[in-house]
Amino acid sequence: MTAEHVPLDPSVAPLGTRNFRDAGGLPAAAWRADQTEQTLVPTHCCFCGIQCGMYLRVDGRGKVFGVEPRNHDINRMRLCPKGINAYQQVNHPDRLTAPLMRRDRNQPLREVSWDEALEFTVGQIGRIQREHGRDAFGMLGGASLFSEKTYLVGKFARVALRTRHVDYNGRLCMVSAAGANKLAFGIDRAANPFADILQTDCLLIAGSNVGECFPVLTQYVWGARDRGATLIVVDPRETAVARTADIHVALKSGTDSAFFNAVLQVIVDEGLTDEAFLAANTTGWPEVKAAVKAYPPSRAAGICGVPAEQIVDVARAFGRARRAMGWHARGIEHHTQGVENCLTVINLCTATGNLGRPGAGYGTLTGQGNGQGGREHGQKSDLLPGGRSINDPAHRRQIAAIWGIEEAELPPAGTSMMEMVWQMQRQEIRGLIGVCNNPFVSLPNYAVVKDGYDKLEFHAQFDFFLSETAANAHVVFPVTTWAEDEGVMANAEARVVKHNKAQEPPEGVRTDTWVMCELARRLGVGSKFAFEGSREVFDELRRASAGTVIDYYGITYERLEQTGGLVWPCPGLEHPGTPRLFEDGRSYHPDGKIHLQAVEWHPPADPYDDEFPMTLTTGRTVAHFLSGNQTRRLGALVEQTPRPWVEVHPSQGFRNGEPVRVVTRRGSEVLPALVTEAIRPDHVFVPYHWPYPVAANELTIDALDPRSKIPEYKVCAVRIERARSVDEVPAPPTPPGHEAYPEAQASRTDPLPPTSPQGRGTGERG
Amino acid sequence: MLGRTIFIDPGRCIGCQACVSACRECDSHRGKSMIHLDYTDEGRTTASLPTVCMHCEDPVAPCAEVCPADAILITADGVVHEADPTRCIGCGNCVNACPFGVPKIDLAAKLQMKCNLCYDRTSYGLAPMCATVCPTGALFYGTVEELQAERPGVDVSTAFTFGATTVSTGVAMVVPPERRAPVPGGLLNLIEVNGRPTPGNGAPA
Amino acid sequence: MAVTPPPPGAAGGPSAADGPPPYRRGAVRAGPAPGETHSPTGRASLVAAAASMLLVLAILLGSRGLRDFDSALVPYAVASVFLTFGVVYRYTVWVSAPAARRLFVEGWRAALSWENLRNSPTALPRMAATYLGFQKFLGARSHARWAAHQLIFWGCLLAAAITFPLTWGWFTFTSSGASGPGYEMRLWGLKLFGFDSGSFLGWALYHGLDLAAVMVIGGVGYFLWRRVRDRAATTGQRFGYDFLPLLALLTISVTGLLLTFSEMFLHGGGYEFLAVLHMVSVVLTLVYLPFGKFFHIVQRPAAVGMQLFKYTARRRGSDAEELRACRRCGQPIDTVAAVDNLRATMRDLRLGFDEWAEYCPRCKRVLRGSAYLSSVKRGFK
Repeated sequence: MTAEHVPLDPSVAPLGTRNFRDAGGLPAAAWRADQTEQTLVPTHCCFCGIQCGMYLRVDGRGKVFGVEPRNHDINRMRLCPKGINAYQQVNHPDRLTAPLMRRDRNQPLREVSWDEALEFTVGQIGRIQREHGRDAFGMLGGASLFSEKTYLVGKFARVALRTRHVDYNGRLCMVSAAGANKLAFGIDRAANPFADILQTDCLLIAGSNVGECFPVLTQYVWGARDRGATLIVVDPRETAVARTADIHVALKSGTDSAFFNAVLQVIVDEGLTDEAFLAANTTGWPEVKAAVKAYPPSRAAGICGVPAEQIVDVARAFGRARRAMGWHARGIEHHTQGVENCLTVINLCTATGNLGRPGAGYGTLTGQGNGQGGREHGQKSDLLPGGRSINDPAHRRQIAAIWGIEEAELPPAGTSMMEMVWQMQRQEIRGLIGVCNNPFVSLPNYAVVKDGYDKLEFHAQFDFFLSETAANAHVVFPVTTWAEDEGVMANAEARVVKHNKAQEPPEGVRTDTWVMCELARRLGVGSKFAFEGSREVFDELRRASAGTVIDYYGITYERLEQTGGLVWPCPGLEHPGTPRLFEDGRSYHPDGKIHLQAVEWHPPADPYDDEFPMTLTTGRTVAHFLSGNQTRRLGALVEQTPRPWVEVHPSQGFRNGEPVRVVTRRGSEVLPALVTEAIRPDHVFVPYHWPYPVAANELTIDALDPRSKIPEYKVCAVRIERARSVDEVPAPPTPPGHEAYPEAQASRTDPLPPTSPQGRGTGERG
Repeated sequence: MLGRTIFIDPGRCIGCQACVSACRECDSHRGKSMIHLDYTDEGRTTASLPTVCMHCEDPVAPCAEVCPADAILITADGVVHEADPTRCIGCGNCVNACPFGVPKIDLAAKLQMKCNLCYDRTSYGLAPMCATVCPTGALFYGTVEELQAERPGVDVSTAFTFGATTVSTGVAMVVPPERRAPVPGGLLNLIEVNGRPTPGNGAPA
Repeated sequence: MAVTPPPPGAAGGPSAADGPPPYRRGAVRAGPAPGETHSPTGRASLVAAAASMLLVLAILLGSRGLRDFDSALVPYAVASVFLTFGVVYRYTVWVSAPAARRLFVEGWRAALSWENLRNSPTALPRMAATYLGFQKFLGARSHARWAAHQLIFWGCLLAAAITFPLTWGWFTFTSSGASGPGYEMRLWGLKLFGFDSGSFLGWALYHGLDLAAVMVIGGVGYFLWRRVRDRAATTGQRFGYDFLPLLALLTISVTGLLLTFSEMFLHGGGYEFLAVLHMVSVVLTLVYLPFGKFFHIVQRPAAVGMQLFKYTARRRGSDAEELRACRRCGQPIDTVAAVDNLRATMRDLRLGFDEWAEYCPRCKRVLRGSAYLSSVKRGFK
């Protein structure tokens, strides 16, 4: 009975103790540098809107090789897994280091010289605009760019391309909150700094999975609770923050405005409103008060699928608190009534007088690193620098003067990102430059997006990894990561922070600023783009924003380095910035009043029927960021969450890990089931960081909010059915001849869902 | 008495695994993560538990006691170190003896590895990587007084019961103030309630 | 528990060598195991003394009653006797502790079992070659460390193979003729072979130690460089434990090479001083060997015993029978024999939670997490 199966090394060890794959598999060890010589470069994280401070560790040869926590007052040394792994992008083997080009999509991309790529691009811009008009060429920016670069995107489109069609991916993210803020307050930013959360007595978090999307913000939430605050979380899923909340309202996705109207109705009923504040500082209160009458808890309970008592509980907790705060994020914003949902939260805070005081106020959590700054300085289709309106003749004249052009040369307002894709389908837009975005993963209804982009006669994309969108382009410009250039970003508090350059870009890589200026030069407007680098752009941006609501004039690189961040408006060099708005009760409207808006709930755009009876909602997981072009290449993050899944309630009758086909009117895909009681029985959830054929956005609907034009990512009608095998996750794209760094991709083929929405536990796979 | 050490509060943990990534950045074992993060209520909630080495004080380091090669050293400050690579023979005794399930083992390298309280940092007065970055304070490094100053009304426990045995540790867990009894180290009779031999993650379906 | 951390063993800085050692071993609680009558140290002294006596006897016999003994090498021979005493003493104390004793017994039981000799006669030699000779496991830690360690290992082995028999008067070289280049090499007075001093073999025999020194210097150089640079190595390193062995090897090798250098190029200039320096460094190293890092040379064969123990246990049957499955998740933990051995060790040590060894680490953590959720606190408060 000899057992030949026993190898010479017979060692066995339990699962989860044997190897260190959960440790990343990235070349971290190979990048181990001479650690006796290192420099710490203070900077901030490239990822979300919290903008945690961090040090990048730079070795003796000037290469970034690690991260060290930084005691910045935003994050106080805390970092999330994305932030800790962010540095691994900088010297990642998947980096693009030469321009890629092809003359038509049937050819593969090949490496070409900068000169050839730029020349071809300029030629195509000229041809398309000559043949089809200036507006046939569009530009799409991104909100992970430094503010200087977002400013340049807007200026490049209007001055160099002279097209009306410019927009950015913050359209998928922040615009509902921005629209609501502008309507109600006349200023587009969170009203209170994060630190105010620590002083609140009641914290309402609506539609934000803070624990996964803004992990570092959790310290403020827990800090408030340590001091006795009540936590209310409104979310269809029992997220990590909702799990322990005092009240978790697991409402149906797409019913937020009914819920908040009902809460306000109870508050009115029970006399918990601050009538003096309302009378002194608001307009529209009688209309709002009348409108919410139609939403008694009994009715809202039916719409929202929550007990009526819970609505009353929330109203009492919020209304009776001495200081209460409401924070919201995409959960209530990604709707065809996203702006209105935000307005109902604003109504709630305003009606209870919770504005402009420490611990009492209102905020919105920006998703992208520069989600706030990215929308301020003119890459949005209807805005000019300083938040000026492109439709306002006075604003147009001011900016035309700064840019040194005639006002008449300045194009009119354009269309939103999703609308531009529809225009590409109709061939109204035939050429496009994309900077720092990945719509193939991030826009809804993938089939439409692919079709739109495929119809483009010319498409150039700027990126440092080959995104799914870039892989479909004609020209790809390899540009710098955040650690290879300097610039500012504004976080969710509207705090402007400075990112510092930690290393020289790899050979062959240029800054986005250089590429845009060089294109402008070749387009014949070089004199208006004579920028050496970010610092010169920022100086022009400061001047362009002076005197507006979004006033950066008093913010300089030197002051940012000295202070660790300044919050706009900051009109003068001695001005301390404005961390908290409305301290005197006055809004930024000319009349100084807060303009309350009455809101009526309406059902989501995608109707339910017998074929599609359930609700699909989408969102993020902690290990990945947005379209995943960055995080799907970092081994530790892939290891934590290698693939998407569909989250279903046990009552749906699926076993954990079983293949489930998720079908909507737009598409279907098979994902492994993560069976958990932490989701509403009538909802399913799919995270959206992965590309076709496992893209959540194959399923979502391209219906837009009429005001903000944000797509309705958070709710559509769906059915689920049994399937045979799960769809495989594709490797991230790489240029021809390169393979996505294999060690980082090792666990991508795992067919099982993660243990929990936050990822796989460390002790489960080996 | 407890000095400066780690305090673990799973109630605050959001399971984000920042600690897992941060652990890998620790220079004394760069590229390898020693901390464990488990989702302990799989299928029901998102609850999670981070596990660092508890640095057992009584009995002092069972892992070191069962080590046939005397490879696990304990410094005078109570830190139980990872195996000395010159001595460790990779037998795995420590892996299975540890009641908290802490040590890891590299079978090819014949080497046990575990949390050493980031000795490269703590011996210089810095906090360990995991507790430095933990976004929630589920892992807190400091003294009890510092902890209680930040979180009024919490208490800590360093006693864990495993059946009839109580293990007292150098790393503490946060408990509600009224609770003075030792923390259960794991109730073996919970198996029927919680045990899903299949088809859990990692288990063959 | 001390509040202030001890000073880190900074690179090159003296720390633990002077003053009380900051480290203590784990196994301190264990009393004498059942059935043991002598104290471990008393017994160890006896065994060690016997071993030393045996060596003295072997020297006497091997050098043909000291006829072949080179009196210039007396200090080396004495040091080797002390070395034997120290090593055997330390070894005996070591294998008296419960965990090591059980593994020692199981390892030898496996090695000497009829089952093993019949079914897998090559297992033991193959394991010894893999783990002790080529040290494959070091390659899994780092290729550079493996290469450097191999240099030191083979260098030391070569040096020991040459010097110990010379020191003990076991090897002698006699000229085969009255004049001329012919030499004979003899072991215990018996002729092994003859060779020509000008031949390659003659050159190699004459310069064997120089070759060993060069190998050791290469390996030690790498390790010293690493001990200064690599934070993984510098963390918690101590002068006495981590630097002293390297410096000792370096001193021996360098002084040894200088002896050759002096002889060949300086006509023996400084030879006597160098010879004393070399001797002192060798003697001190040999006496230190049982107590510091070098003891791993003696300990490392336990790895083979451990492997063989698990190997023979697993070969008895299918994995389903011979691997202990976690009682909760069913995943294998280790061989049944190893887990039983561990549980017995834990009982020896009066660690009252040996039953937990039958759960895998993840299940232990999950059970603890569930217990915390159900009986301490569910959420934030």
